[in-house]
Amino acid sequence: MFERIMSSKGWWRLFQAYGLVFLIFLYLPLALIFVYSFNANPINMAVWTEFTFDWYKTIFFGAGTAGSFDAAFTESPDRIFEVVRNSAIVALSASTISTVIGTATAIAIRRYDFVGKKVYQALLVLPMIVPDIVLGIALLIFFVGAGFELSLLTVIIGHTTFLSSYVFVVVSARLAGMDMSLERASADLGAGPLTTFRRVTLPQIMPGVVGGFLLAFIISLDDVVITYFIAGVGSQTLPLFILAMMRRGLRPQINALAILLLSFTFTVAAIGLYLRSRKS
Amino acid sequence: MDGFLQIRSATKMYRTPEGGSIRALDDVTLHIRSNELISLLGPSGCGKTTLLKCIAGFEDLDHGDITLTGQSLTRIPAHRRPFNTVFQNYALFPHLTVERNVAYGLDVAHVERKERTRRVGEALEQVGLAGFGARMPNQLSGGQQQRVAVARSLVLKPKVLLLDEPLSALDRKMRESMQIELKSLQHSVGITFIFVTHDQEEALSMSDRVAVLASGKVQQLASPKEIYDEPQNEFVANFVGTSNIFKGKVIAKEGRTLTLKTANGRELAVASDRFGVGDDACAVLRPEHLKLSGEARDRAIKGTVTQSVFVGSEMHLHVDVGLGRTAVVRHRHNKGSTEAAYGPGADVTLYYTPEAAHVIECKGA
Ligand SMILES: Nc1ncnc2c1ncn2[C@@H]1O[C@H](COP(=O)(O)OP(=O)(O)O)[C@@H](O)[C@H]1O
Ligand SMILES: [Mg+2]
Repeated sequence: MFERIMSSKGWWRLFQAYGLVFLIFLYLPLALIFVYSFNANPINMAVWTEFTFDWYKTIFFGAGTAGSFDAAFTESPDRIFEVVRNSAIVALSASTISTVIGTATAIAIRRYDFVGKKVYQALLVLPMIVPDIVLGIALLIFFVGAGFELSLLTVIIGHTTFLSSYVFVVVSARLAGMDMSLERASADLGAGPLTTFRRVTLPQIMPGVVGGFLLAFIISLDDVVITYFIAGVGSQTLPLFILAMMRRGLRPQINALAILLLSFTFTVAAIGLYLRSRKS
Repeated sequence: MDGFLQIRSATKMYRTPEGGSIRALDDVTLHIRSNELISLLGPSGCGKTTLLKCIAGFEDLDHGDITLTGQSLTRIPAHRRPFNTVFQNYALFPHLTVERNVAYGLDVAHVERKERTRRVGEALEQVGLAGFGARMPNQLSGGQQQRVAVARSLVLKPKVLLLDEPLSALDRKMRESMQIELKSLQHSVGITFIFVTHDQEEALSMSDRVAVLASGKVQQLASPKEIYDEPQNEFVANFVGTSNIFKGKVIAKEGRTLTLKTANGRELAVASDRFGVGDDACAVLRPEHLKLSGEARDRAIKGTVTQSVFVGSEMHLHVDVGLGRTAVVRHRHNKGSTEAAYGPGADVTLYYTPEAAHVIECKGA
């Protein structure tokens, strides 16, 4: 009996059904805000009135430009632009700096043997598992103690500290698969250390470097907890801004903003995956 | 002595993970001539790769020095030494085409494009890979990758080409044809090849001279023939070819002929200029110098066949001669003859000419 079920088509169907349910579980919430972002009802987004692009329009052009929305339901485009700009500056700078630091560290760790290397490696990975809230408080205490004024700069520095760990891990994985004798061969053929890095090492680990950069970028872009502690008054990022908006009530414009952020993140990830498939 | 590439008292230590240290090279002195193919032959772990790395400049010596035509290389980094290496795993750049791989050294040296193209074409031609320039390394067979690695080095016209077990990854047929190709390539480009191998047949068949290494020390440096016919010590005798080694004490000397008495009272006649009565000595007899005989003869060794192995062109007979070791004898058999006589259990008599025996000092005899 049992075997008949196992080998039957029914079993396979059950499997498919399970997969489908799981996918729905994963994506239903995202699908909901996607749908809600086109719902014209300004009071209760769960009650459908009619289809509209207006929430998206208000993000770019402000209240009153699209429909008859009261300014009470929307934030001004200037304000949105400011926080998006802040987020872009932070994410780009922090991920760029941490890509340089993480990659250089990974290469050095691979190449040189020294006392306490294992401990050093473990310490490098630790920031990834330290709870965000602890890291946030620690950074805040550090910045205040060191006399920093909280600003975009402190956010960038804070992000760089833990993002370097992520890049280090991703690039290290790639380096582990690289044949060390390639660098020796390059030196043997007359290339100095810099030429060897540029012509051999970097092309070999490029997928890892790009992957690490994109990962760092996405993590930085949507970080809330750590940023919450170390962002100054004028340095609110997009996720913090959305959080603040939510505090004042669930308003439909948030859905549109969230969908835009999501689309952007997916695009970045897709580019990353594409580059990776092309390189190998 | 040709003072081309001289390695003097080279010593290299490595720290072991357990905290100790090992001498990968122990007081190695070698004078390498220009324009020769010299093999570094020895078992795995004897320091061949280490020596090659020290010559190439990837490792620094702890003691001793290496000079090229009288100039010390100690302070010259790897990328400025006029040597190139063919690595054990080839180390082709996987992200570059065959052509770009071969052009790499010229690119780095900023050789002008026209000349670069010409020399790359020439080098690929030389190794029989013209027309393969656009391929990626992973689209080549092992033998082809090997040739690309050789071309990539030769295109720079180095003074010395270092090859680290370049043929070990190839199958037997391929290996044999590459041996011949590399040898003739060395002839035509006219530079020194330092060829690392653990395969004694390969070393003997390709080299002008062979340096036998064991545990970081040079055991013998000589021509292949000398290495085979006159091994300097027991290690060389055992490592190169098959040897029957009999230990004993010299009890009589008559002209060049010594009488060697073994531990169990047998007497062997051997020829040597070196030893005197009372010395400990070892007689080395190659299997092909031991002949089988049905009848008793002077200076013969009696024994019993324990095993006979058919290898096609001949039989290898293992004979218990009561000397603590079984002797190996090669016996050519004729088609249709009755070989049953030499099966296991057969009593045989071995004889040899005293001149065929090579006498060496015994260690711990
Ligand atoms: N980087 C290293 N660290 C520690 N020991 C090493 C290192 N490289 C080689 N050795 C040791 O040195 C000895 C010689 O090695 P190697 O020159 O590679 O031998 P071969 O090439 O003849 O097989 C070996 O015992 C090996 O374990
Ligand atoms: Mg080796």
